[in-house]
Amino acid sequence: MERNEIIARYERGTHLIGRAVTLVTLALLVGAPFMIGAYLGAMPDIGAAARSFLAVGLVWLVSSVVEFLVYTPMLGSGGSYLAFITGNLINMKIPCAINARDLAGVKAGTKENEIVSTLSIAVSSLVTIVVLAAGVLLLQPLQPILQSPSLQPAFDQVVPALFGAMAYKYYRRNLRLAVWPLAMMSLVFILLPALQSQTSILILPGGALAILLAWLRYRKEKTA
Amino acid sequence: MTIMQQLSSPTMYLICGGIIAFVAVVCVVFAVRAWRAGKAIGMDTRVLKRVVTSSASFSVLPAVAILLGVIALSGSLGIPWPWLRLSVIGALHYETQVAQSAAEQMGISLSGSSMTAEAFSTIALLMSVCIMWGMVLNLFLNKKYTARLARPLDKVGERSFGDQAMTAMFIGLVSVYLGSYLGQWISGAGRFSFAGSLLTLLTALCAALAMMGLTWIGEKRRIGWLEPFSLALAMLIGMAGAVLFHTMGVK
Repeated sequence: MERNEIIARYERGTHLIGRAVTLVTLALLVGAPFMIGAYLGAMPDIGAAARSFLAVGLVWLVSSVVEFLVYTPMLGSGGSYLAFITGNLINMKIPCAINARDLAGVKAGTKENEIVSTLSIAVSSLVTIVVLAAGVLLLQPLQPILQSPSLQPAFDQVVPALFGAMAYKYYRRNLRLAVWPLAMMSLVFILLPALQSQTSILILPGGALAILLAWLRYRKEKTA
Repeated sequence: MTIMQQLSSPTMYLICGGIIAFVAVVCVVFAVRAWRAGKAIGMDTRVLKRVVTSSASFSVLPAVAILLGVIALSGSLGIPWPWLRLSVIGALHYETQVAQSAAEQMGISLSGSSMTAEAFSTIALLMSVCIMWGMVLNLFLNKKYTARLARPLDKVGERSFGDQAMTAMFIGLVSVYLGSYLGQWISGAGRFSFAGSLLTLLTALCAALAMMGLTWIGEKRRIGWLEPFSLALAMLIGMAGAVLFHTMGVK
């Protein structure tokens, strides 16, 4: 079978399975509170849920649109279906997929990247499911260790540790590209400290600035 | 049976565990299809194995951190629901905020002592509805969006802008977080007070230095197996650094 035919068949299957499982997962997730409500003998208060949605949900709606627009090109179709079903995108799935892509030496936008991203996110999700299931089983005996005050700073700092390590990995080969976004974002957070609790809002402008600089460099290299 | 006992009852484990099992099967299906497609288009099996190894090793530490989220929420929502939320679709930073907001609308605080059956089912519904939009967009737009992004492969040896754009996007993302850590220290307790939290910045720096050391060792000593583990190891060293800085009184 030819490469193009294999890819076309894989893509058709990915969209078919991706849409079907997304639909089923959506039904299960929205249906679960009603199922639980029936078990507990008290259905959800739709009015209170709607008021809460207006208060906090709209932010997450906008955030979801941004995440979809930004992350889907990074992950490809299969990786995207899977990442949005399994969650924990920013603190786990995206860095994991990008790291796997670099290790495999594949280019963004290629079918190899799509395959590597999908494989990476699937493995990452399975590991999370296994760790959490084991953790829940061992919750009682593990609780004193995991909640020990001396270890608390370590687990509170997982995301900074992740981004510190990733920063070296990406900055070392692209230092000139990284200087301006880092300087601009630092300045924004220093001058507007209130934004520190809403870091995700600045991901899109930060990314857009870096892409603009990369584009200017790319144009310069092409015309040189 | 109290509400908290009901929330951690076998029925709740069955409902939540069933959904998690379904998603686990989905992951296996996607992994097997990706592996087979990779081999069919001629990708090296060793490369695919490295992807699996690095992704698995990378995910363990963040998964333990997510487990702490389950523990944190279990006091007010029982164990099975936070287990479901953080295994599937949820995000560590999101769940508490949404649960708190729903609890406020129900006129209670997010704690086991004030939880009621109606409050719980409402909180559970809001937690599901607020974060489902990424899936909804994927359902309707993924095919069109990815088809639009697809473009012919570049000439051999030429680095495409798409590739550079993705790297740039990630540099932007990392810069936002590092910028926020710097901002927390400099202006977190008042603009230019230099009295805010320094722990996040030092942890990030510690992890970056660890990554630098591990990369240097891997490249100089030509230790190929180190590369897939270097990110997880650097994170671990960064987290150990956080404990050390904390004991030294850094806030």
